[in-house]
Amino acid sequence: MWDQVGQALSHSTNRMFTQMASLLPGVVALIAALLVSAFAAWVLAAILRRSLTSFDFDRRAARWGFPAFAEWPPAKSPTLLASRAIAWTVMLVGFLIGISAFDAALTSQFVIRLLAYLPNVLAAALVLAAGSIVARFLARSVLIGAVNMNLQYGRLLSAGVKWLVTVLAVAMALEHLGIGGGIIRLAFGILFGGIVLALALAVGLGSKELVSRSLDREAGKTSNQNMREPVGHL
Amino acid sequence: MDAFPQSELERIERAGGADLVVGILDPEHDGQAGCAVAMVREALADLSKVARAVVLCNNGNQSPDGAATQTDSVGRPLAVFAYGLPAPGPGETPQSGISRAYRSVFTVSGKLGVRACGVIASKFRAVTPQWIYRLVQPVVDLGFDLVAPRYTRHRMEGLLNRSVLSPLHRALYGERLQNPAGPDFGLSGDLLQRAVGQDFGTPRGTESDPVARIAPAAAYGGLRVCESHLGARTQAPTDWTNLSSLLANVLGPVFLEMERQAAFWQRIRGSSAVPGIGVPETVSEDTGTVDVHRMIESFQLGTQNLGDVWGLILPPATLLELRKMSRLPPGGFRMRDDLWVRIVYDFALGHRLRTISRDHLLRSITPLYLGWIASYALEMETAGPVEIDARIERMAMAYEAGKPYLVSRWRWPDRFNP
Repeated sequence: MWDQVGQALSHSTNRMFTQMASLLPGVVALIAALLVSAFAAWVLAAILRRSLTSFDFDRRAARWGFPAFAEWPPAKSPTLLASRAIAWTVMLVGFLIGISAFDAALTSQFVIRLLAYLPNVLAAALVLAAGSIVARFLARSVLIGAVNMNLQYGRLLSAGVKWLVTVLAVAMALEHLGIGGGIIRLAFGILFGGIVLALALAVGLGSKELVSRSLDREAGKTSNQNMREPVGHL
Repeated sequence: MDAFPQSELERIERAGGADLVVGILDPEHDGQAGCAVAMVREALADLSKVARAVVLCNNGNQSPDGAATQTDSVGRPLAVFAYGLPAPGPGETPQSGISRAYRSVFTVSGKLGVRACGVIASKFRAVTPQWIYRLVQPVVDLGFDLVAPRYTRHRMEGLLNRSVLSPLHRALYGERLQNPAGPDFGLSGDLLQRAVGQDFGTPRGTESDPVARIAPAAAYGGLRVCESHLGARTQAPTDWTNLSSLLANVLGPVFLEMERQAAFWQRIRGSSAVPGIGVPETVSEDTGTVDVHRMIESFQLGTQNLGDVWGLILPPATLLELRKMSRLPPGGFRMRDDLWVRIVYDFALGHRLRTISRDHLLRSITPLYLGWIASYALEMETAGPVEIDARIERMAMAYEAGKPYLVSRWRWPDRFNP
């Protein structure tokens, strides 16, 4: 009986070692993939960091409508952020490739799905970035236009426009990611409509006196200036 | 050149060419070319060196008119051809329409190889034959290459010229002109060929405004420049709701030209007066009052709301000064000359560096400009012409004194930021 127990244990141990041995190539492949991707990530991040530094990316990003970037400490500059993001993306791709080396249907399918999802993530990131730039540009246009028209509530209008475009961009990004589905559409509709309604209320009702005073002054200003101010610019 | 038919050009050349081109660019000109032709005939009666002239009216009527040769008062044959420039396109703004008309006049003048070209862009109803004569005669008889206008102005007229265009031109190019951007000019064929015509047809040329290029081109080419006293000029009433567009349309091309000629103006130090032709008219007394409260309000509103935008263009010291100014009582509201000069220089630099969208940059200067007008109006409330001239001279000197600041920031925008 002890012999039979010993044989069974021996077979189990053999099977365990066989299984472990069959995993070894996958582990080695994963380590190799991680090492290669770490090297590629380091090279790419270095190239990107040098390119962005020579392009004066930090200062330009502040000029492009992200003034907060200028206040970031050098250890967390936009250049470092971008290069680290690229490095981690490359590492992640390397890890997924390494995982796929394990000859398991489940991990392979997981990796394939994850890789197929990557374009959606990139598209969503692009939509968010473009939305942010457009929102800031339009907000600045509205602010300058409102101040030049002597409207007291220029900042409110500008912030409203900025949030309208930002909400639209976020909703589009979530749509690309396939997160939320109908709930996102519904939430977007409610939020978008809410912002528009809030703006309308602020301008039309909340600032009624302000608007009427402003309009009165506009009308008075035009007639007054025609009569009283012989001003010529050229 | 599509603005003017090639066949007509060839016809004029076959008939012996032309000595002079006169452009009447006021789009509100009633369309009667005959009036302009009669005026040009009268103006040219005393110019013995001009026998053939072409009149281009910006009236949208392209059919030739008045191509007959007649004798003038002393029996000399004088042929005057009149043509209309095409009407503005559907999406064309008045500003781009005028720029296109200038380009057409300069191109026709260049193609015909004329001795002189006169351009009248002021309101046509104020124009007399003497205007045309005074713009063209110094070119034809005295050999000048550019005749810039000198108008008789009231206290509150020509403010953009007084505050920016004239002193900036003086500081940059070393020539003291009252109106470097015209809009009325007399030009020699040499100036047209060498300076104005060189960039036509290039992609950059299509976007630049020829008016802003004339006076700098004459300075750059070392050509002879003078001013001609034209008298009072009729101006359209100020459209206050569109002031930012006016500033963007005028300052944009000036800053672009500044960028183009940067290597030239950085070498220039000081300035000199240019010869004046004719006798200045006396200014009638100013009777209007100026309500500066709304301008000060605009300035204060800008200081409150546009700090983030101005912060991308102006150095912190200037922003601090502006904040202090916004707290001044209306009676004591003043903008120092050196502060205004630095603001203009910093905006020119921001335009060059594209610190923010150029349209945003140019429009965001509006509250600052209104602040300057308010300060000037309060300071000159009871001033006479002599005091006003002295005030403007002080402003021009401040521009010259501030030029090293501009040159330093232009060369080292990042390193030199007070």
